[in-house]
Amino acid sequence: MSTPSLSINANWLTRSRVGVAVLLVIAYGVIPFTGSEYLLDAILTPFLALALAAVGLNVLTGYAGQVSLGSAAFLAVGAYAAYNFNLRIPELPFLVSLVLAGIVAAAVGLVFGLPSLRLRGFYLAVSTLAAQFFVQWALTKFGWFSNDNPSGVIDAPTLTIGGVQISGAARRYVFSVTIVLIATFLTVRLLAAQSGRNFIAVRDHEIAAKVIGVPLLRTKLLAFGVSSFLIGVAGVLWAFAYLRTVEPAGFNLDRSFQILFIIIIGGLASIRGSFLGAAFIVVFPLLLSRVGAALLGNVFDSGVLEMSQRIVIGGLIVGLLIAEPRGLIALVDRLSARILPKLRRPAPQPISPQNYHSQKGVI
Amino acid sequence: MFDYQFFIEVLVGGLLSGVMYSLVAIGFVLIYKTSGVLNFAQGAMLLFAALTFVSLVERGVPFPLALLATLAVMVLLGITIERVILRPLVNQPPITLFMATLGLSYVIEGAAQLLWGAQVHGLDLGINDTPFNVAGVFISQFDLFAAAVAGAMVALFALFFRYTRTGLAFRAVADDQFAALAVGLRLPRVWAAVWTAAGIVAVVAGLLWGARLGVQFSLSLVVLKALPVLVLGGFDSIAGAIVGGLLIGAIEKLAEVYVGPFFGGGIEAWAAYVVALGFLLVRPSGLFGQKLVERA
Amino acid sequence: MSLVATADAETLSLTPALARERAGEGTKDVRVMPTVAAQELARGAAPAAVPVLALEDISVAFGGVVALRDVSLRVAEGEIRAVIGPNGAGKSSLLNVVSGLYRPDRGRVRLGDRDFTHVPTSRLAGYGVARTFQNLALFKGLSVLDNVMMGVVHRRRAGFLQQILGTPWARREEAANRAAAEEVTGFLHLTEAKERIAGTLPYGLQKRVELARALVARPKLLLLDEPLAGMTLTEKQELSWHIRNARDSYGTTIVLIEHDIGVVMDLSDRIAVLDHGCKIADGTPDQVRTDQAVIDAYLGVAHDDETELAL
Repeated sequence: MSTPSLSINANWLTRSRVGVAVLLVIAYGVIPFTGSEYLLDAILTPFLALALAAVGLNVLTGYAGQVSLGSAAFLAVGAYAAYNFNLRIPELPFLVSLVLAGIVAAAVGLVFGLPSLRLRGFYLAVSTLAAQFFVQWALTKFGWFSNDNPSGVIDAPTLTIGGVQISGAARRYVFSVTIVLIATFLTVRLLAAQSGRNFIAVRDHEIAAKVIGVPLLRTKLLAFGVSSFLIGVAGVLWAFAYLRTVEPAGFNLDRSFQILFIIIIGGLASIRGSFLGAAFIVVFPLLLSRVGAALLGNVFDSGVLEMSQRIVIGGLIVGLLIAEPRGLIALVDRLSARILPKLRRPAPQPISPQNYHSQKGVI
Repeated sequence: MFDYQFFIEVLVGGLLSGVMYSLVAIGFVLIYKTSGVLNFAQGAMLLFAALTFVSLVERGVPFPLALLATLAVMVLLGITIERVILRPLVNQPPITLFMATLGLSYVIEGAAQLLWGAQVHGLDLGINDTPFNVAGVFISQFDLFAAAVAGAMVALFALFFRYTRTGLAFRAVADDQFAALAVGLRLPRVWAAVWTAAGIVAVVAGLLWGARLGVQFSLSLVVLKALPVLVLGGFDSIAGAIVGGLLIGAIEKLAEVYVGPFFGGGIEAWAAYVVALGFLLVRPSGLFGQKLVERA
Repeated sequence: MSLVATADAETLSLTPALARERAGEGTKDVRVMPTVAAQELARGAAPAAVPVLALEDISVAFGGVVALRDVSLRVAEGEIRAVIGPNGAGKSSLLNVVSGLYRPDRGRVRLGDRDFTHVPTSRLAGYGVARTFQNLALFKGLSVLDNVMMGVVHRRRAGFLQQILGTPWARREEAANRAAAEEVTGFLHLTEAKERIAGTLPYGLQKRVELARALVARPKLLLLDEPLAGMTLTEKQELSWHIRNARDSYGTTIVLIEHDIGVVMDLSDRIAVLDHGCKIADGTPDQVRTDQAVIDAYLGVAHDDETELAL
């Protein structure tokens, strides 16, 4: 595909084929064999699911500028849709159920995305909250979604793909990695093409975009649809590869905020940033609990941990918005520009706080 | 045969609970009107105020002293927030500021519970909650008290805005920041004063809500009820906050009682938002808010 | 409002560097420009062909504020038509009516053969109309080349699936748009900066990028809202040259809002003067310069021992 604009913005990670190859080797060849069950089950698998959800939200909020506070709703839709497809149409191969679940999430996303045609900023945010509350309520209230399990809990069965049972931490991890890599790859292609440019145009100056002929309705709906699809697929991973028992309460407003925080921390309009942010969100509580226990001993119980977590994450959000609105990925890029001398292109021009939105779709 | 008495009871109950929503929304309006910031942390501030008060009282501090201390703490908190977080972000688009208040709400919630503990506290304001019986309709005494307090607060604010210099400055800044600057008003001072006022509102609302629901973490979630109120009433109008609150309260209760059974109940959770959504699509500036003219 | 003594016509149109460029390069795409029509208009002859733009009795008011009152305007093909006037005279409002961002309370807008009460903004590009904005409407997150490519986005038909799969159709469209963008980028001497993110460029270059984006679709009608605002003298010279070149090479009809009177007098074929929402003069630069109403409202008079600064 000939899109020089993408290669120009390629970074130390994706520029070199060697870099990508190394990444794949580590992901497929090293980790599944050497990683402990704890690493795979409690760290990497949720990281992958959250990263994909963050990529999805980033497409909508970071690239297309449409704020959404209800992303957890689409995680839930994806999870429950896949569960139901798998349960009620057993002949369907699971991968088909996965894609269908994503499509269902996309459809719901389109419906709740329609207000974006008339609303912007936090008006739109308020309307996305409607999605959040409505979906949570519907999944709890209507037993059909959870096969009449009490309080809407669903137990995800062990997956079988192509005859192979996806059981055990290593297999679930490989499954997640594959799905996430494919989905991310396709998303990057979309963002590097005209649609990606349309997203950024709508975000940066909607009126100018309208005047030059960008189809606003289609562009915004595409952003909502693609975003919800990705988040829905992430929800399938969350339910089937990670937790394996989910309930509507796990897809609450806190989860929506968590995904939003991931993209703010990692960097808006940055795919790598979504992964970085997700890694941070997953690893940070574990680190904090170790450090806290070491420093404060028994005083540092789970309640204290949770509250400290809230404070640090909240503080980090505020701090980043003030000091480095382009997120941790910008810090990483600056560092790598100094460390990796092979980098042809210097670190991105300093952009004044007013223009933090101008983070180009750096992948 | 339509049970009018029951309908009135539900309606009045809804209106009164709506007053409670208005209380929270007023805090939002104050800040939004003068600085354009939608303070998502208002709910967390509510929680913080309620927790501080209740913890002081439980430790034996007499009621009026605890109240004063809480007010002082909230004023201090408000000024700190304005200085440390909002001042550096002053030129950012509103959505950035909103996300900053989102982060702030996490910090305040965490700090409140770290400081005072995470248990549920009961809060007794000394009001006997036996319902009045007015012509066969039962009205909660507590709700009436809350309505009275809210009314008093609004009246005080109205007087404040009208007859004091600071109040006048508020209105000037709310109308046109640049013009206010041009006539020599010191914006940072006004903003500090605004956040102080919002802190005071948080104390009042926090105490009332705490008395009603018990002082616990979920108190900070009342902010989620305030948003539809703001949509209905307009983000920058106190009158709108009142009317919007009453409407949302009433619609919520009525919807739950009359429409809820078709859905198996629980629609209180999202009824307000659906109404807000409808409003957003038809009249985004709300009933009382100012229409924004978009200049190309 | 320009408080700087404006350059006279001579220096404005040609600096040695620009002259050299003109002589050496020439432009790749030369269309026969109907200057005859413009010249005839300058002599006061009635326009023979259908005007590219015709506004009839346009009135717009916001609340109690009248932005435009019964303004009529005709722009002939290939003209450079300036609209000047004090701040608040309604000039931007006029462009906003033409581009459909404001809905006039009264009056009609005619784009060539098409007649509107309210111009549909989303179809402007299809009608061959492009515009720039007073406060810069660049997509700050995109590169210069991407910004310019956006100017021909209305030609894209391939859907998002095709884009993801990289089908031949999608690739061809992409290549065609890229080529068009590269050409205009070269035309406006922006090639060196083409991969830079637009938000990082100096203001003068950003204005040029916006002009490039407006030109890439070879519009029939180009609306420029204060394209020279905030520029240094050199930048103004360069951009004025580019604007005239756009008309000469591409045959684009241009409607131009500008405060720098020197530029306006030199660049335009005809000038309309607005004041408080009404048109108070309309004619050639010479006619307008000596019109008493215009002098009273806007230009002021040059005295013997000082050069009155254009207000």
